[in-house]
Amino acid sequence: MRFIFLPLLFFGGIFVSFAQSPEEVFARANDLYQQTKFAEARDLYESLIQNGYGSGELYYNLGNAYYKTGNIARAILNYERALKQMPTDDDLRHNLQLANLMITDKIEPTPRLFIWDYWDAIKAGFSIEGITWLIYLLFVAVVTASIVMMLARTYRARKFALLGGVVSACLMVFALVIFAARVSDLKGEDTAIIVGEIVTTKNSPDTKSTDAFVLHSGVKVEIVDRLSDWVKIRLADGKVGWAEKTATEVI
Amino acid sequence: MMRLTVVAVLLLVLTASFSFGQDAAFDASVDKNPVGMGDQFTLSFTLRNAGMGGGKNLQLPDLSKFHIMSGPNQSSSMQFINGAVSSSITYTYILQPKEIGKFTIGATSIEVGGDVYKTAPFTLEVAKGSPRPKTQTSAPADVTGQIGDNLFLKAMVDRTTVVQGEQINLTFKLYTRVSISNYAVDKNPAMTGFWSEEVENPKNIALSNEVVNGKQFRVGVIRRLALFPTQSGILEVSPMEMQTTVQIQSRSADPFDAFFRDPFGQSVNHTVKSEPIRIKVQPLPLGAPPSFKGAVGRFTMTTAVDKKTTKTNDPVSLKVTISGTGNVKLLESPEVELPLDFEQYTPKVSDAINRQSDRISGSKTFEYLLIPRYPGQKVIKPVTFSFFDLTKRDYVILRSPQIELTVEQGPASAAPFVSGGAREDVRLLSQDIRFIKVGTANLARRGEYLYTSGTFVVLMVLPLFALAGAFVYVRQRQAVMLDEVGYRNRRAIKVAQKGLRQAEHLLKTTSSAPSAQKLAFYAEATRALYKYLGDKLNIQQAEMSIEGVMSELEKRSVNGALAASLKSLLESCEMARFAPASLSITAMQQTYDVARKLIIELERTLKTK
Repeated sequence: MRFIFLPLLFFGGIFVSFAQSPEEVFARANDLYQQTKFAEARDLYESLIQNGYGSGELYYNLGNAYYKTGNIARAILNYERALKQMPTDDDLRHNLQLANLMITDKIEPTPRLFIWDYWDAIKAGFSIEGITWLIYLLFVAVVTASIVMMLARTYRARKFALLGGVVSACLMVFALVIFAARVSDLKGEDTAIIVGEIVTTKNSPDTKSTDAFVLHSGVKVEIVDRLSDWVKIRLADGKVGWAEKTATEVI
Repeated sequence: MMRLTVVAVLLLVLTASFSFGQDAAFDASVDKNPVGMGDQFTLSFTLRNAGMGGGKNLQLPDLSKFHIMSGPNQSSSMQFINGAVSSSITYTYILQPKEIGKFTIGATSIEVGGDVYKTAPFTLEVAKGSPRPKTQTSAPADVTGQIGDNLFLKAMVDRTTVVQGEQINLTFKLYTRVSISNYAVDKNPAMTGFWSEEVENPKNIALSNEVVNGKQFRVGVIRRLALFPTQSGILEVSPMEMQTTVQIQSRSADPFDAFFRDPFGQSVNHTVKSEPIRIKVQPLPLGAPPSFKGAVGRFTMTTAVDKKTTKTNDPVSLKVTISGTGNVKLLESPEVELPLDFEQYTPKVSDAINRQSDRISGSKTFEYLLIPRYPGQKVIKPVTFSFFDLTKRDYVILRSPQIELTVEQGPASAAPFVSGGAREDVRLLSQDIRFIKVGTANLARRGEYLYTSGTFVVLMVLPLFALAGAFVYVRQRQAVMLDEVGYRNRRAIKVAQKGLRQAEHLLKTTSSAPSAQKLAFYAEATRALYKYLGDKLNIQQAEMSIEGVMSELEKRSVNGALAASLKSLLESCEMARFAPASLSITAMQQTYDVARKLIIELERTLKTK
């Protein structure tokens, strides 16, 4: 059975990468997933990403496929990638939470100022597309208000236009700040997931250095520094150590 | 009583601390000198009046000519006589000489509070054989010979090749042809690599008869054990040693001698020792099921819950009983797969072992206490237990039926034991991940976003164009507004035509012509004309006069004919306003036509300037 499948898959792979549109590949992978052929679905999703495609849904589905094939670390990695694209998605948040329960290390984050939680919540409330459109609408509103102010003959009309323009401009500045933060999150490469099974971090970027702590796969870490084959990571609870670059994968 | 003791001890200590004034002394002694070859003797070092600290750093002399059988053994004593305290600490060694000769026990030193004390060396003589008379109990050579083959201890196993976990019966039997008055086990056999179960260890030995090598022996079972090897390889059961007291009849021919001796014969101590036994233990075959935890034999399993219906937080007891023959005691608790919202505690284990038969049998009961935390229909998956069947030579998996429990909502008094967020986690864990997104994927090249696309840039620029357009328009309008003269000039024709149209309207409705209507016509026509001229020539209405208009026209060098006809028109209009009755409809029509023609003419002339 397996011998029949292998060439089929191989042929399929070639067919997929050269002849089908990415949407068709995506649909095919979804079908495979539905038929509980998770590994094959996973490979198809991966091939899309290899070919340079990416979207929240794609990362989410790939995360699901990894979850079903038992690779929790990769599932978390892809969920986190999807989260950047669609931070408000309920299914995604649920699955990510579930995946995070499966990992070995439970790291208690150090408490931080509540304002940052609000800020994150506000940021998460906007998709990158959404915030772009919002900025555009506010921009149009500001421009319209300016035009009205210029053209209006009555004092009343001008007053309202000014009010509307100032409010829109303020909102737009705020939206721009959120937009900038979202873009920096999106482009940022300062968070990573531990993909090595068991990773012993060191106190300095050197295999002979003393051990700092041990991590298991699936932990989300912050990358604070890089040096050749090493990355300096910080855990949510504030612990810092150097890990080999190959043991981490940037979100 | 207690108080009394405390007081006594206190008193003792106090006095002791007062009166330790005497000099310390250290000396060495032996309990016998000379010593026989093969005899043990005691070498003691005594430290007297060393004070509370005692001595330290005891430096032994060269004792290489002796075996150190034991030591150092330390003992101390304190005496309290007439208020003077004397204490002594003794270090003893039990030695056995290695060779015959005279040996010097060298100086031994000890440190007491910084001072070093030394013993004087002395000479010890080791003679051949024991210098003292032999005791009755040690067996003389002839007696040993007499006992010889007639008394021995034998270890026996029912099989020497087994698989790991299979039972081996080990029996120690004492064979004798002499009479034994007493016996004691000196050294128990070491059974490394086995789990052993005592089957029989009788206080009184029942003797039976057995013939070995043609000789009748009395045989007694000393001990019977069941062994279960816990590892594979060649395992050894080390010998067991027994001290026996044998009664032997004196062979002496001397009647007097016999008379004075023990009437029951001579008692001789004799040590018997079994042979070590080697057992070959084969490992269990490969392919053990995951639930296999080392059970070997033949077992059955029953499971039972004490109730099928329970309430939340009301514990249910699940009993798993495994019974059969084999290494019952070594059975490990089978794993019970519970729904995740159940709390489970380590099972209570009880066993009943039956040692009577040849094979060890019995049952082991694991009682699991399960506490349901959430209501609902719960299913406990079948409990699996597997063992290696010795007769089939294969693994057997036992599976209990599935257990279904109905959990009703009980009083929510006791909060679940799971703390904090963990409870939520547990609830979550029982869920599966949500399904994939199957709709449109919005697949885009990575790094391509709306804000980087060309369309968006264009969209962003569009309002800017609108803004720029509005800006230009407003600037133009502002310029026009600022130039009011020009504005009036440009608007003049429109205003004049509007006035004339009104006049024409009056003309058309004036067929039967009451004079008021005619007056209104001329007033309107005059107003329109003056308004036009005022706008066009930039004359304020208040300063408007025919002369003024004429001079302005002259200034702008409008040709004479046009000015003259304008003047006559204005004059006729003026006249008509003050003498309306003389005017006919035809004259009104003529005035209107002329006024229209003149305005168009003027407009053309003044524009070309």
